[in-house]
Amino acid sequence: MTRRGQSVVALALAGVALFALLPLVVGPYALGIGLGLLMWIALAESWAMFSGLSGYISLGHAVFYGVGAYATVLLWQVVPLWLAIPLSGVAAGLLAVCLGWPCLRVRGAYFVILTLGVSEVVKYIVIRTEAALGRQGRLLIGTPSLTILFEAMLVLAVVSMIVLYMVRSSKLGAGLLAIREDEVAAEAVGVNATALKLLAFTLSALIPGMVGGLMILRSTYFEPLQAFSPTTSFTIVTIAILGGTDEVPGPLLGAVLLVLMSELLWARAPEVYMIILGVLLVAFVLFLPEGLLGRAQRLRGPAKS
Amino acid sequence: MDLSVILSGQLLASVLVLASLYALVAIGLNLVYGTMRLLNVAHGELVMLGGYVAYWGFAQWGISPLISALFAMAVAAAAGALIYIAVIRRLFRSRFQARVEANSLLVFFGISIIVQNVTALAFTANNRGYSYLDDVIAIGDARIAANRLAALAVASVACFACALFFRFARSGMAMRAIIQHREAAALVGIDVDRINLQVFALGFALAALAGALISMTQTISPFMGFPFTVSGFVIIILGGLGNLPGSIFGATILAAVEVYGVTLISPSFRSILVYGVFIAALVLRPQGLLGRPIKAR
Repeated sequence: MTRRGQSVVALALAGVALFALLPLVVGPYALGIGLGLLMWIALAESWAMFSGLSGYISLGHAVFYGVGAYATVLLWQVVPLWLAIPLSGVAAGLLAVCLGWPCLRVRGAYFVILTLGVSEVVKYIVIRTEAALGRQGRLLIGTPSLTILFEAMLVLAVVSMIVLYMVRSSKLGAGLLAIREDEVAAEAVGVNATALKLLAFTLSALIPGMVGGLMILRSTYFEPLQAFSPTTSFTIVTIAILGGTDEVPGPLLGAVLLVLMSELLWARAPEVYMIILGVLLVAFVLFLPEGLLGRAQRLRGPAKS
Repeated sequence: MDLSVILSGQLLASVLVLASLYALVAIGLNLVYGTMRLLNVAHGELVMLGGYVAYWGFAQWGISPLISALFAMAVAAAAGALIYIAVIRRLFRSRFQARVEANSLLVFFGISIIVQNVTALAFTANNRGYSYLDDVIAIGDARIAANRLAALAVASVACFACALFFRFARSGMAMRAIIQHREAAALVGIDVDRINLQVFALGFALAALAGALISMTQTISPFMGFPFTVSGFVIIILGGLGNLPGSIFGATILAAVEVYGVTLISPSFRSILVYGVFIAALVLRPQGLLGRPIKAR
């Protein structure tokens, strides 16, 4: 490991340790913000692992978050939580296999619209199911404390970053990048595009499923329209675009910016917050399509990855 | 299933009304996609704006929505031209040519969020409605509100006018030429940039017209646009991306599925049905039911 690599790892470890100790120093309000930040980091890093690397933009990652939340709610007081949360991730992964099989056969614009479409279908199916069961939202009583949820979310955020880092430097990552550049050519040189895409899509659903499970324990109230809200998907994409998509620090940076902004604005003026989100999205795509991180690297000279 | 239900004039009339409105929405969406390969997910927001113009015209000054629809179209056409000049040209010039399709989606999504929330700030997020021409007319065994009949008539005339425009007008033919082959169209001397500008103006105006008509038949809100965007996409995928007559065909199919599905099963199935048609069409026949594939790159 180079000296520079060592210092990056040391810095990262220090950052994680600092975050882990946060519950000891700050109050519940700040901790809630921290939880939100870690949630967006975990979601955006997972998204970047699939969409950033493969170029298949998923506008449906909210479905994995929602299904994870639903699974946790269904498993609530059936199995212990340390088992329920990973099972929620597995549920999201299984759903990704089922959805990925048809969706990943189409590419480009079709894929984007299709992911949005299927996530909405799943949402309405859950709504129908809940209605048929005669449930009008479900309340969870006796959920774990904010501190425990925060620490668990920290683990997910860190794992999501490690996964993105490892996938990027693996054969899977190389295959995905080849698919992004030219899928036909990639297949011609022996990349099994179908299998790689499905594997990456499934992998990128696991953590959002667990994040959904944790967040429903935080809100303690399950309502499908909220849990499956497409706003979640859109926010993930915006974060990734803000930061610059396919390297670990990109989504991290984007999430910090977004959470800062939403803290300043959301509570006071949700419409203004959404308008600024929209303006940022348009401005970044038009003027800074490589994201903040990409621009920073370009200014610093040739990339040293 | 009762055959008399399926054949009842009542349902057929509902299908026709819905289909004509959907066709207006879808033709605009398809034009923009066909000529420029841009995914306008903000298309539904134009429908919403058209609805608001008609609403305010009627509520404030008592202007007939059928007249303020013209005003709505002009406003939307100007907005379309502005967006093309300020945003889309820049997008085409960007260093990331290969990602224009994905980037256009993100840009339009941003625009759609902006328009929705500006409208919500300006006019509150409440549902709004008005009654205009709401006496019921009986035709055969169908009983239909006069405003729905008016919407059907205006939308059909507009679709017919579009068909004539694409068939006979110079710019209409140029648009079809660009849909078929952009480079070849440019080679034979078509000013692609100018036609693109016209496509934006025309597509947006059609959406606003649909919105003004829709506001006569149902309540409007700042967030009503998205379902129309989705329906529009389902229709152009059914009819074929870039295939204009296909849009009218797709609109009829989707309207029929929606009206009969809601009547025979339950209103809460509407969304599942629409998205179900969507997914089935995309997976089974991504080139559209009518065939004649247009390469989506």
